[in-house]
Amino acid sequence: MDIRRLEPRDLPLIQHANLENLPENYFMKYYLYHALSWPQLSYVAVDVSRPPRTPYDYPKIVGYVLAKMEEEPSDGVPHGHITSLSVMRTHRRLGIAEKLMRQSQLAMVETFGARYVSLHVRVSNRAAIHLYTKTLGFDQEKTETKYYADGEDAFCMRLDLTPIRDQIPDQNGDDAAEEAGEDEG
Amino acid sequence: MADPQSRDVEEEVSSQAKSAEDRKAAAALANLDDTHGDDAGAAAVDQEAVSKAMKNLGGTAKTEVKKVKVDAADVALLVDELDLTKPKATELLKAHDGDAVKAMKAFIAT
Amino acid sequence: MPQPLNAKENALFRQVIRNYEDKQYKRGLKAAEQILKKNPKHGDTMAMKALIMNQQGKTEEAFALGKEALTADMKSHICWHVYGLLYRHQKNYEEAIKAYKFALKLEPDSHQIQRDLAFLQVQMRDYQGYIQSRASMLQARPQVRQNWTALAVAHHLSGDLAQAEKVLTTYEESLKTPPSKTDYENSEAVMYKNSIIAEMGDYEKALTHLESIAKHNLDRLAVMESRAQYLAKLGRKDEAVKAYRALLDRNSEHPDYYNKLIETTELDPNDLAARKAVYDEYAKKNPRCDAAKRLPLDFLTGDDFREAAKAYLTLMLDKGVPSTFANLKHLYGDSSKKETLGALAQEYLDEKKASPEAEKPAGDGAPKGEPAGLYYLAQHYNYRLSRDLAKAMEFVNKGIELVPNSVEFHMTKARIWKHYGNTKKAAETMDQARNLDLKDRYINTKAAKYQLRNNESETALKTMALFTRNDSPGGPLSDLLDMQSVWYLTEDGEAAVRSGNIALALKRFHSVYNIFDVWQEDQFDFHSFSLRKGQIRAYVDMVRWEDHLREHPFYTRASLGAIAAYIGMFDGRKMANGLNGSADVNGEDAAERKKAAKKAKKEAQKAEREAAEKAAKQDPNKAKAGSTEPVKKDDDPNGLRYLATAEPLVEATKFLAPILQFSPKSIDGQIAGFEVYIRREKYLLALRCLNAALAIDATNPTVHEQVVRFRQELDSKLASLPSKVTEVLKSEFKAIEAS
Repeated sequence: MDIRRLEPRDLPLIQHANLENLPENYFMKYYLYHALSWPQLSYVAVDVSRPPRTPYDYPKIVGYVLAKMEEEPSDGVPHGHITSLSVMRTHRRLGIAEKLMRQSQLAMVETFGARYVSLHVRVSNRAAIHLYTKTLGFDQEKTETKYYADGEDAFCMRLDLTPIRDQIPDQNGDDAAEEAGEDEG
Repeated sequence: MADPQSRDVEEEVSSQAKSAEDRKAAAALANLDDTHGDDAGAAAVDQEAVSKAMKNLGGTAKTEVKKVKVDAADVALLVDELDLTKPKATELLKAHDGDAVKAMKAFIAT
Repeated sequence: MPQPLNAKENALFRQVIRNYEDKQYKRGLKAAEQILKKNPKHGDTMAMKALIMNQQGKTEEAFALGKEALTADMKSHICWHVYGLLYRHQKNYEEAIKAYKFALKLEPDSHQIQRDLAFLQVQMRDYQGYIQSRASMLQARPQVRQNWTALAVAHHLSGDLAQAEKVLTTYEESLKTPPSKTDYENSEAVMYKNSIIAEMGDYEKALTHLESIAKHNLDRLAVMESRAQYLAKLGRKDEAVKAYRALLDRNSEHPDYYNKLIETTELDPNDLAARKAVYDEYAKKNPRCDAAKRLPLDFLTGDDFREAAKAYLTLMLDKGVPSTFANLKHLYGDSSKKETLGALAQEYLDEKKASPEAEKPAGDGAPKGEPAGLYYLAQHYNYRLSRDLAKAMEFVNKGIELVPNSVEFHMTKARIWKHYGNTKKAAETMDQARNLDLKDRYINTKAAKYQLRNNESETALKTMALFTRNDSPGGPLSDLLDMQSVWYLTEDGEAAVRSGNIALALKRFHSVYNIFDVWQEDQFDFHSFSLRKGQIRAYVDMVRWEDHLREHPFYTRASLGAIAAYIGMFDGRKMANGLNGSADVNGEDAAERKKAAKKAKKEAQKAEREAAEKAAKQDPNKAKAGSTEPVKKDDDPNGLRYLATAEPLVEATKFLAPILQFSPKSIDGQIAGFEVYIRREKYLLALRCLNAALAIDATNPTVHEQVVRFRQELDSKLASLPSKVTEVLKSEFKAIEAS
C-alpha cells in the first residue's frame, strides 16, 4: 500500500472505486474539478503489490479521499470539506481512511489556512460515524433531513483544525527559524 | 457570447439535482466557465517595466522547413495504404525526401 | 459590411445578445424575428438566431441559418464567430478554428474571439497557434498575471522550457511590491517556475531557487519533496537523508521515501539487516504503520524472511485485516516465500485451534484469529500460483461453519467457484454474500459482476438498481451511463457477446468509447478555469494525462470487444455470401442490413412515441425550465443501428486506432490490428502490427498463426499490388520466406 497525493491519471480508477463502494457518484468532470482546484487536498491509497497485468496498468486505487475548500463559506471562516471518502471492503482495518484524512487535513491548514473541516455522513453508516467521531475526533453538529437522494438524513460533522495549526510554526506568524536553521546545517 | 459548453454541463446536472448533495456538484460545475473574474487579478505591476519586458520576449524563430518535392501519386498511395490523411501523408513523404518506399518502410517500423 | 440598423432595432439586437447570454431563448428568438421582419437579410441577427436555435437543440436548422447569415454578410465578425461556435458545438474543432480566425481578422481587438480561439488551439494541441494567441492576449492586458502565466504554460507545453521560465521571470521582475505571503496565485506560480527549472535538469539552480521561496510557500509537501529530490540528485547526501526522514515523519506509508532514504544513505545492498533497521525504526515510531512492517518482506530471505513474515502474519491475522493475503501475494512469485507463507498460516491456524479463545468477528464482520487463519488459507489455495481448489473449498467451508454470516468467506467461496469454471455457482454464492450485508455497495457490485459473468444481464441490472438512482426515465441503466460506470458497460457488453446479442454488445462498447470522448472534452473548461484558480502544475499534469487518455486498460478492453464483434460481423456476412455462391457481394448482405435498419427505425419510432406519451403525462408544472432543452432519449436502446452498418471494418478501425497509437505494447491490440487490416487488405498496416506483435512476444501462438496466414495471403496477392508496396513488403516481412 502506498498513500500519496492524488494525480489526474488516478481519476478513472478513483471514479471506479467510488462506483464500486458508494451510492453517491459523480462524473469525471467533478473529480477533475477537485483535482484541479485543490490538488493538495486529495489523497489516494494504492495497492502497489498488485502484479501487473498489462504494460499499461494504472495504479490500483483501494481508497481515496476527495476533499475541497468551501468556496464561499457562509460563516466567512475558511474551511475544508470532505466530498467523498471510501476504502475498498477488502482493504479495511488497515487504518487507511484515517491516514488519508490526516494527510488531507494537514494540507488544508498548510496550503489554504483552513480552520476546520466539515463533512456529511449517512445516519445509518455506523462504521463511518465511528471513524469520524472516535478515531478522528469530529463533533456531530446537526442533522440535515433528506440530504441524500434516497431520502436518508445526514449528520453534519466538523473537526476543529486548531491543533494542527499550532504545530505548524509558520501559521502562528512564527518564522520557521529552527527548521531553516537545521537546513543550513 | 460566451462559449456555451459548460452551460450544457450545468443543465445536465441540475436536471437531475434532486438532493442537496447533487445541487452542490451542479453549482460547482456551473461556475467552471464563469469568466467574470478574469481580470480581477490585476496586480501592482510597473507598467513601464512590463512594456519593456514584453519587447524582450519576442517570438522564437520558426525553424525553416526544407523544400522537398513530392509526387501526388505517392501521396495518394500513402493515403490509401497507410490510412493517413493527405497532410500527414505529405509530411511523411517530405520527411523522407519524397521517397515513398523509404517513407512506408519507416512508417511500419514504428 | 455589417448592415446598419436603426436605433430601435439596434437596441433590439443588443437585447438578443443579452437574452442569449441569460438563456432566455424564447425572448431572444422573438426579438430576432422582429428585426428580421424589417431586415430579412441582416446577417448578425440571423447568426444570433442560429446560435439560439442551436442551444435549443435544433442543430441542423441552426447550421443552415448560420451559413445563410454568412452568405448575407461575409464581412461580419459576428457571423464568423457564430459559425465557429456552431462548429465548436458539433466538436468539429478544425473548422471552428478556421472560422474564429476569419472572425479575428475582421475584428482583431475582440477579446472574446481571441479567447475562444486560444482555448480551441490548446484543446487541439496546436501549441504554435496557442503561443501566438496567448502572446496577443498578453499584449492586450499585460497587467494581468494570468496572461503571463498562460504564455509560460503555452511555451512549456510546446516543449520550450527556457522560454517558459523567461516569461515567468519577466513578470516577477516587473512587480513593484512583492506579493503577500498568503497570495496563493503567487505561491503556486513560483513553485511552477521551480518545477520548470528542475525539468530542464539544472538541479543546482532549482535548489537555489527553491531555498529562496521555500519559507513562505503554501505547498509544503511539494517544497519538501522537491528539496529532497534536488539534494539527492546533487549528491548532498547528509542533507538529502535528513530531507527524506522529514518526509517519512510526515507520511510513513509512502514506499518511495524509504527507497530514496536507503538509496541516499548508500547502504551496502547486501547488508539486509541494515536495510531492515531503517524500516524497524519507523515501525517503532508509528505503531499503526503498515509499510514499515511489510516492505522488508520484499527483500529479506531465508530465516530472516520467515521470522519477519511470522511476526507480520500473526499481527495481521490477530487484528483480522482482510487484505492480509492481498498484501502478500506478490511475494508468491518467489516459490520459497510462497511455501513459507502457506506453512506459517497453517501454523497460525493450528496454534489458534489448540487454544481456542472465543474469537468474535471484528466490528465490521472481518474474521480474526482462527477464522482469519482459515480465510488466509482459503485465499492461498485459491491463488493462481498456489492453487488447490479442493483445499481452498475445504478451508472456506470450515470458515463458514465458524462464522456463518461472514461476507468475506462467501465472497471467497464465490471466487473459488469462478476458478472451477462454474459461473452459475459463483454467481449464486456471491449473491448469498450480498444478502449478508445489504447496505454495502461493494458486495452488491461484486454480485452484479458475477451475474454478468454468468450472462444474467437482466438480474444483474436489478441487483445494480438497489444502489443506482432510478428516478430518471431511463431507469438504472441511464444512471450507470450518466455516472460513467465503465466497468458495468464493459461487462454487460461482454455478456451480450457471449449470449449472441451483438447489437447490444456494440451498443455498450460504443457507450464506453463515448465516455472517453467526454473525458477528453472535459478538459476544455479547465484551460481557462485553472488559470483563474492559479493551479498551474495540476493543470499541466492533467494536459499530459489527457494526451494519452486512451492508453487506459478500460479503453482497450471495451475496444477489443467491439473490434472482435465487428470482425465477426464481417466474416459472417462474407461467409453467407460465399455459401450462396453469389457473385454479388452485396446482394444477400444488403438485404440483411436493410432488414436490420428497418427494424432499428421501427424501434426508434416506438421509443419516440413512448417518450412523447410519457412527457404528456408528466406534471405540466414541473416542465418549465427544461422545456427549452430537448429531452435526451435513446431512440436505439438495443443497438440495432450498429448492427446495420455497411462498414463493420471501418467501425472496427475507429476503435483500433487509439489502441495502436497509445498502447502499442499491448499484444492483444496488435493481434486485433492484424485481423482488421488483413481483412481490409491493408497489407503494410497488417505487417506493422505483425512485426510489433513479434517484437513483444515472438512465441505467442496466435501471432505465429498470423505469420503463416500472412505468408499465404502475400503469396497469392503480391503480384497484384503496387510495385512500391511489394518492395516494402518483401523487405520488411522476414518471419517466413516466400515459398
